[in-house]
Amino acid sequence: MTAGGADESHVALSGVGLAFGRRAVFDDLSCEFPRGRISVIMGASGMGKSTILRMIGGLQRPDRGTITVAGREITSLGEIELGRVRQRLGMLFQNGALLDSMTVFENIALPLREHTRQTEDDIRDLVHERLESVGLPDVEDLLPGELSGGMLRRAAFARAIVMAPEILLCDEPFSGLDPPNVSRIESLLMHLNRDLGLTVVVTSHHTATSLRLADQLVLLQEGRAVTGTPAELAASGESEISEFIGEDGATFLARLHQSAPGAQGGPSS
Amino acid sequence: MTGLVRALGRQASSGIEGVGRITRFGGLIVRAVVVPPTRTRFVLSAVYDSGVLSLALVCASGLTVGFVLGLQLYNTLSRFGAEESLGTAVGLSLIRELGPVLTGLLVTGRAGSATTAEIGAMKATEQLDGLRMMAIDPIHFVAMPRAVALALVMPLLSALFVIFGVVGAYLIGVDLLGLDSGSYIANLEEAVEFREDVLQSLVKSLVFGMLLGLIATWRGYACEPHASGVSRATTSTVVTASVCILLADYALTALWGV
Repeated sequence: MTAGGADESHVALSGVGLAFGRRAVFDDLSCEFPRGRISVIMGASGMGKSTILRMIGGLQRPDRGTITVAGREITSLGEIELGRVRQRLGMLFQNGALLDSMTVFENIALPLREHTRQTEDDIRDLVHERLESVGLPDVEDLLPGELSGGMLRRAAFARAIVMAPEILLCDEPFSGLDPPNVSRIESLLMHLNRDLGLTVVVTSHHTATSLRLADQLVLLQEGRAVTGTPAELAASGESEISEFIGEDGATFLARLHQSAPGAQGGPSS
Repeated sequence: MTGLVRALGRQASSGIEGVGRITRFGGLIVRAVVVPPTRTRFVLSAVYDSGVLSLALVCASGLTVGFVLGLQLYNTLSRFGAEESLGTAVGLSLIRELGPVLTGLLVTGRAGSATTAEIGAMKATEQLDGLRMMAIDPIHFVAMPRAVALALVMPLLSALFVIFGVVGAYLIGVDLLGLDSGSYIANLEEAVEFREDVLQSLVKSLVFGMLLGLIATWRGYACEPHASGVSRATTSTVVTASVCILLADYALTALWGV
């Protein structure tokens, strides 16, 4: 574990309950996302992975429980106060959520124009820099509807990081991407986390990528969260966990566990 | 029996809740109008979408309504030897009632439904959530410019509808049926008063525009975030706004003391 506040909780959910109509999604969910770490939320479809991100972003209020983001309890905040918290967050939506009436450039420049006093030249430079970092140097004048799915996701990624957030929430950042683009986004997430210290919370179905990326895994099982490092999960031997991460994941974790025999502790739920 | 009462109670409670929600939404739009930034560019863009793109429809409708009025009223008035009053009848009916009401209904079908569909689609594709996550208020950024644009364009389009209607009736009455041109225009000028007729017409249009702006943006904003939800919201905008415009027309006419 590194110094500098690592392992201090940056985002924490405590006793969260949420139901959509009669369908209970969470009954008593508690989990923490440490500052400066990459946490990957995994779980079967419909278990509420994206809902956790939406609750952290204040887009979905839980029926009960508390959510603390960067030291502020957000479940009771109004929209204006939530706006202040959201300025410290970046969120990559599963389908990009770029404004389809604006060009890629305007989309990425939008938060800068709204919340900073930077000159148009500075904004242009920053947008170019972000687009290049996601491998999209020549699309700024296109509308989102003119981009492929992978390009759209990367443009949305550029928008999510343009304000240099403290916490980056990524909803299925790898789904629908080809292997080179999965690697590119993976490297970018690594860079943002390792070099800039961002706290990253990712939901993903990509087992191998998730295991490579994660400092902490959060496995959702029937409304509860099993949390631990990949090595801890490898050591736990719980059949449900093994079943979910599959043979490839198990092999990867076993290798990881062998290479880090000092790994101690076990998953917590 | 108990079930029926319970169902009625639920409906009434849901209706009151709906009125409360739309009123609160209207308050937030009013607040967004006065809180900076002004979003002038987005208002102008919405004026283009709602107003400029409705021009052809409104002008063509005004002209054809004028044709029909010219023909019907000339034939009716000529039975009493009063065909020279065509200008008066056309002017007053168009300016006081037909202009604002028909323009309101046309713009509801053309621009109100489009506004709801656009905002609803933005909601379904998480674009509104995307704005929230950038700490940008979707009511300020998306709803307010469109609502303001609808309120602004309605009086202008209504005025155009009236002008084209008067021209249409002139073409039929004077050029086709042989009424004296001077008498048509002189009677029109003499009958129409600015405060009683023109101002009333403009105020009605402004109120219809505000109603449509509120209903169209609210329905889009509050729709269920999927294709059928957007479709239902669009239909609901047309129905609700049309009924509200007709009711408001009666209320304003009565209040104006006509």
